[in-house]
Amino acid sequence: MTEAQTDLNNADAASKTDAEAAPKRGLFRRERSAPLLPEAGAGGAPLTAVIAVMSFLAVLAMAAALIINQSTAAWAADLRAEITIQVKGATAAEIAEGVAAARRVLEDTDGVLQITERSADETAALLEPWLGRGNAQAFLNIPAIIEIKTEPALRADLDLLRNRLAAAAPGASLDDHTGWHDRLAGAARSGQTLAFAVFLLVLGAACAVSMFAARAGLAANREIVAVLHLVGAADAFIAAEVQRRFFILGLRGAVTGLIAALGVLGLAALTARSGLAGEAFLPQFAFGGPIALLLLVAPITICLATALTARLTVLRALREQY
Amino acid sequence: MEKDSVIVDFEGAGLSYDGAPETLSDIRMQLRAGEFRFLCGPSGAGKTTLLKMIYLAHRPTRGRFFLFGENAVEAPRDALPPLRRRIGVVFQEFRLLDHLTAFENVALPMKVAGVNQNQYREDVSELLNWVGLGHRMQAKPPTLSGGEKQRVALARALVSKPDLILADEPTGNVDPAMSERIMKLFIELNKLGAAVIVATHDLHLVQRLGKPVLRISDGRLSHSAGPGGAA
Repeated sequence: MTEAQTDLNNADAASKTDAEAAPKRGLFRRERSAPLLPEAGAGGAPLTAVIAVMSFLAVLAMAAALIINQSTAAWAADLRAEITIQVKGATAAEIAEGVAAARRVLEDTDGVLQITERSADETAALLEPWLGRGNAQAFLNIPAIIEIKTEPALRADLDLLRNRLAAAAPGASLDDHTGWHDRLAGAARSGQTLAFAVFLLVLGAACAVSMFAARAGLAANREIVAVLHLVGAADAFIAAEVQRRFFILGLRGAVTGLIAALGVLGLAALTARSGLAGEAFLPQFAFGGPIALLLLVAPITICLATALTARLTVLRALREQY
Repeated sequence: MEKDSVIVDFEGAGLSYDGAPETLSDIRMQLRAGEFRFLCGPSGAGKTTLLKMIYLAHRPTRGRFFLFGENAVEAPRDALPPLRRRIGVVFQEFRLLDHLTAFENVALPMKVAGVNQNQYREDVSELLNWVGLGHRMQAKPPTLSGGEKQRVALARALVSKPDLILADEPTGNVDPAMSERIMKLFIELNKLGAAVIVATHDLHLVQRLGKPVLRISDGRLSHSAGPGGAA
């Protein structure tokens, strides 16, 4: 022990008796260091709350895109599974003759799996919303409807069948639902684009908030940053500290937002399934594991974007200010 | 560090902020490894600014400055942290981080250098024991006395075994007895090989220790071989 050390040790050792243990290490006692940047400086609870809201909205936007995709896929599959043949005629006898001719053509065509002829009552029922009960058959010769299920190979080229039907039954027309399918697909694309745009807006807002909070945190911790530089910290080290801090805050917020959004979606799925909200308003959707896993992408993206934005903001600010 | 090698080398260096008149002008100075210098001058003369320039808080706006053989004026920003890690700085106002414990404050230079905690834990504990604060390792600065804070700051400056120690009025906030002890510590560290620059107002201390003096006045530096020039 040197003379100077002895002097320093003697200086006020007697004045302190509150011996505080040195950091211990051991298998079951893991030492935890305080973060170099205090929590308050990084935005703390307000930032976590904002990220939670952003995450909630992002999950809902992502869920909307997935539900639209799921529903339209189901509707499209239904549409594409069937072909409708409509047989018109001036009289009921003419229609019946056309139906018989069309049926013969269909039975003679390879690739037709199933032929279902809708009865006049069933067809009239389709018009009831517009014409009222019982009115359709009284005043109109309602066209007959034949629904067929086909093999994909036949569906891929319907021109031959269309021509044969036209030759055998001039009043018959074939509808493969392509028009409906295209309109449905277009509507689905618009819905998905809108949902994705909302997700991007939320992501952008989260990045902007993170940028603001990182700059504010840096300003609040100016002295700490100066000391870190003084002891040899590189900008990347300080930025990594801020990034770690924001990642933790972002993770807390993202998980909170995810849980809240999953709760809302679960409730919506139950409502849709029970029919309380009306089938026309809420589509039936399977809110299972795969969708829930896909929804994780939203909070994870928000969390990572928050942390990365904070890092880049700090790196830039350090270059500008220090 | 090779003995006699020049570690601080200013040649016609000046510093001004945003085009204002120079705070420091025509600084010419060389410090070799293992040398000891006092830096004296009236308040506002530029002692702290010169130290800041040496530990690269500011870079000269004019002239040349080589630190540990590196051109510190033109070095890219990324090259500065390794140079700063070779310098231990002690401030009059300590500049400890209040939210960290004494142990964590002292360990800070090791942590930012990427040293594994298992490697520096023993060193930091030993150093804190050495300065008489082994019983206060988990205390945070607001609960420490002025003398204790100064010793934590000293330990932080020494933990990475720096080649150069800078002290800015290290005895300004402690009683005369503690001042004497701290100065003895610097002299011991200097004997162990570290170059030391101590900025101080305490001319009695300077004269009693008989070390060479750098005198600064109105931002200009002059040299004297011994305490006689420290007026």
